Amino acid sequence: MKGISKQFPVVLANDNVDFELHSHEIHALLGENGAGKTTLMNILSGVYTPDKGEVYVDGEIARIRNPPDARRYGIGMVYQHFSLIPVFNVAENLWIGEKRGGIRLNYAQIKTSIGETAKHYGIEVNLDKRVEELSVGEQQKVEILKLLFRGARVLVLDEPTSVLTPQESLGLFASLAALKEEGKAIVVITHKLYEILGVADRVTVLRRGKVVFTSPAAGLTREVLTRAMIGAELEVKGVQLTKVESLGSLRLQSVSVRGDRREAAVVSLSLEAKRGEILGVAGVAGNGQRELVEATFGLRPMEAGDIFIDGKRMTGLGTKGRINAGLGYIPEERRTRAVAIGFTLGLNSVLHDHWEKPYVGRGMLSLNPIRRFTRSILEKFDVKGGSENAAARSLSGGNLQKFVVGREVLRGPKYMLAVNPTSGLDVAATEYVRSVLVDSRNAGLGIVLVSEDLDELLALSDRIVVMYKGKLSPSVDHRDFDKLKIGSMMLGEGF
Amino acid sequence: MNITLAALISSVIIGMVPRAMPILAGAVGETVSENAGILNLGVEGIMLMGAVTGFVVDYATGSLILAFAAALGVGVVVSSVHALASITFNADQVISGTAIWFLGWGLSGVIFVSMFGNLPVPPSVAVASHVYLPVLSDLPVVGPLIFGEDPFFYLLIAILIGVHFFLFHTKQGLNLRAVGENPAVAEIMGVNVTRYRYASVLFGGLMAGFGGAYLVLSIVGSFYFDITVGAGFIAVALVYFGKWKTPRVFIGSLIFGAVYVLYYSLESVFPSVPYEFFAMWPYIATLVIIILVGSKARAPDSLAKPYSKE
Repeated sequence: MKGISKQFPVVLANDNVDFELHSHEIHALLGENGAGKTTLMNILSGVYTPDKGEVYVDGEIARIRNPPDARRYGIGMVYQHFSLIPVFNVAENLWIGEKRGGIRLNYAQIKTSIGETAKHYGIEVNLDKRVEELSVGEQQKVEILKLLFRGARVLVLDEPTSVLTPQESLGLFASLAALKEEGKAIVVITHKLYEILGVADRVTVLRRGKVVFTSPAAGLTREVLTRAMIGAELEVKGVQLTKVESLGSLRLQSVSVRGDRREAAVVSLSLEAKRGEILGVAGVAGNGQRELVEATFGLRPMEAGDIFIDGKRMTGLGTKGRINAGLGYIPEERRTRAVAIGFTLGLNSVLHDHWEKPYVGRGMLSLNPIRRFTRSILEKFDVKGGSENAAARSLSGGNLQKFVVGREVLRGPKYMLAVNPTSGLDVAATEYVRSVLVDSRNAGLGIVLVSEDLDELLALSDRIVVMYKGKLSPSVDHRDFDKLKIGSMMLGEGF
Repeated sequence: MNITLAALISSVIIGMVPRAMPILAGAVGETVSENAGILNLGVEGIMLMGAVTGFVVDYATGSLILAFAAALGVGVVVSSVHALASITFNADQVISGTAIWFLGWGLSGVIFVSMFGNLPVPPSVAVASHVYLPVLSDLPVVGPLIFGEDPFFYLLIAILIGVHFFLFHTKQGLNLRAVGENPAVAEIMGVNVTRYRYASVLFGGLMAGFGGAYLVLSIVGSFYFDITVGAGFIAVALVYFGKWKTPRVFIGSLIFGAVYVLYYSLESVFPSVPYEFFAMWPYIATLVIIILVGSKARAPDSLAKPYSKE
C-alpha cells in the first residue's frame, strides 16, 4: 500500500501511509485507538476506498472498491465484531454468497467441502452448531476458516485477542504461526504490545494516521514501541492499593436471572463487595455478566435471590430505590445507556436527580444548580471539548466516559457497578478512568468492576472472581493473582 | 334456525380453505420480504389495488387470466414505491408502508367509483369456476376440502411450496435470509443486498396483488370500497405468527380462514346480534395470536432497519 490517505469528516485517519506485507509473514500493526490502524486495513479489505494512494498486489495496482473485490485478490479480514449470523449454523455462515455448488443446498456436500479446508489447516469446529452456541474463541476460528475457505492469502485480524482468554490467545497465535508456514500473509492489528512481540516478524507503528516506523520485530522492546505509539513517555502511575477499613457491603444472595431469550443466565449466584475495595469480575463475554449487573441495578427482574445494600434488602426496589440507597452504575454502552445522547451535558448531569432539590424548584428545573454541578464534573474530571450547553453527542468517547464516571462518582454513591469502563478508550483516558476508580475506592467506594480485559482486572482489583456460565468462582486475593490460572478458570476450570 | 353444530363445523371446515387464500397469498409474499429484512405494512393497500384491477380487467375483457395478470402487475408496481423508499432512500419502513396502504385504499376506491359510479348494487363478474379432479375430488372429507377448488388455488399452493423450497433449501434462499439477518455480513460475503431486497419486496407486491385478485375473482365476484377490510394487515400479523417460516404461515392462514367463515355463518345464525359483533372476531383473533406469540418470536435481526453502506 503506497501513499494511502483517508479523510473522515473530523479526522485525517490515514495520512500518506506506506505499508508492505509479504507472504510467510506475520506483521503486527500497532497503534493507539484512533491511530488509523483499522481504517488502513479497511481500505485494504475494500470496506473503505482511499482518497489518495494505491494498493499493489504482487507488484500490480489492485482495484479494490468493495469487499468482494478484495476477496478476488485473496484478502480477507476478521473484524473485531464478528461478521457471523448467530442463528445460522457454521456451515450456513460459510456458504452465504458462495458461487460453488448447485442451487440446491446439499448439506452433506457443503460440509465435506468445508471440512476439507478445515482439516487442511487443522481448524476444528463443529459445522452443525449454530454460531450463537459457540464460544467467542470458537467463533473466531469460524471467521478464520471462512477466510481460508474463500481462498484468502492475506488475513487481517483486528484486535483478535481482545475477547480471548490468555490460553485462547496462545492457541490463536499457534494457529497463525502455522498459517504463516503455509505461506499466508497475516496482519494482526493490536494495541497490546507484549503479546505480539513473540509472534510477529515485523512491526509497523501508526500514530495519528502516520507511520512512525516499520521494522523487524527482533530486537524491539516494549519501551521503544510504547514511545513510538504514544509519542512520549507515558507515566503509568501504577495503582496504589491502600486498604480502607470496611464499612458495609453490597451483597447478592443466591441470585438467579434469566437472559433475553429466557435462558438461565445467572444461576444461584452469591457475591459480596465491601466498601473500599474493587471486586473484579473476570470472564469471557456472555457468561452472564451483563444480566448480573442489570439485575443488581434493578434493570432486569430476578428469578430468585436477594440483594442487600449495607444490610438493607433491595430486592423489590426499582432502579431509583437502589440509586437512593447508594448504588451507582457505569454501563458499558456509554452512548446509549449512560447518557441521552442528544441532551446537553447539563441535563445529562442530573439524569438521576432532576426531580430533586436543588435541581428542581416549584416544578421547574433550576438551571443554576445544574450548571454548577455540570461545571464541577467538567473541571474535576478533565472533560475536554464540552460545556453544559453542548450536546453529549459532541464529546469524544474518552471525554464522554470521563463525564459519565465523573457524574457517577460526584453523586457520592457507596457502591459502583462498572462494566468495561475503559473499552475503546485511548491510553491516556484509560489511565485517567482507572485512576479515578482507584481514588474513589481509596475514599471508601465499593466497586464491582466487570471487565473483559484481564490485565485491567489484575491491575486494579483487590479480589477477583471469575464468572462462567452464570456461576461465580471463589474469590482470588490480590497477592495470589496468576494470569494463567485465572485464564483457565475463565475457560471453566473448577466449575 | 335448524343449523346443527355439526353442520356449522363442516361449513367452517369446507369454507375456511378458500377464505384463507387471500390472506395466505399476502402472507407468503410478506414472508419473503421480511426474511430479506423489509417490513411492508402496505400489503392491505396493494391487495386493494390488485382487487380493483382484477375486477376492472375481468369486467372489461372477461378474461380471468388477463385479470389476474394485471392484478399481479399492479401489485409489483405499487410495491416498487415501497422498495424505492425503503431500500434506495432508506426511509422508515413503517411510515412508507403506511403510506402505501393509504394510497392503495383510497386509489382503489377512486378508480372503482370513477368507472362505475355509485351504484346501489355493485356490478359483478362470474367467479373462477372450480376444477373437478378425477378421483381426488371424490375422496371423502379431503375431496371437498381441498380438491374442488379453482385453478388459482392450486397455483397459490404451488407457489407456497416453491417459496418454502426456495427460502430454506436453496443457496439463494440462504443469501436472502442472510440479507435479512445482517446485510453488512451478506455484503461482505459477496451478496448483492440491494438486488435481493428489491426482488423480495416486488415479489411481496406480486403476491399481495394475487391475494386481492383472488378475493374478488374467486370468492366474491364483485368489488366494493375497502373490500379487504384488513386482510392485508392480518397477512402481516400472520408472518409474525408463523415466525417467518412458511409451514406455520400456512397453518395460521387456515385458522384465520376458519375465523372468517365462522363470522359469516354465525352472522346468519344469529340475525338479532349486530353483525359488527362477529365482524370484529378476525381482528380480536389477530390480537390474541400476536400476544400469544409475543416476545417468543425471533424476527430476522435486521427487519425494518434501513441499511446503507459506510
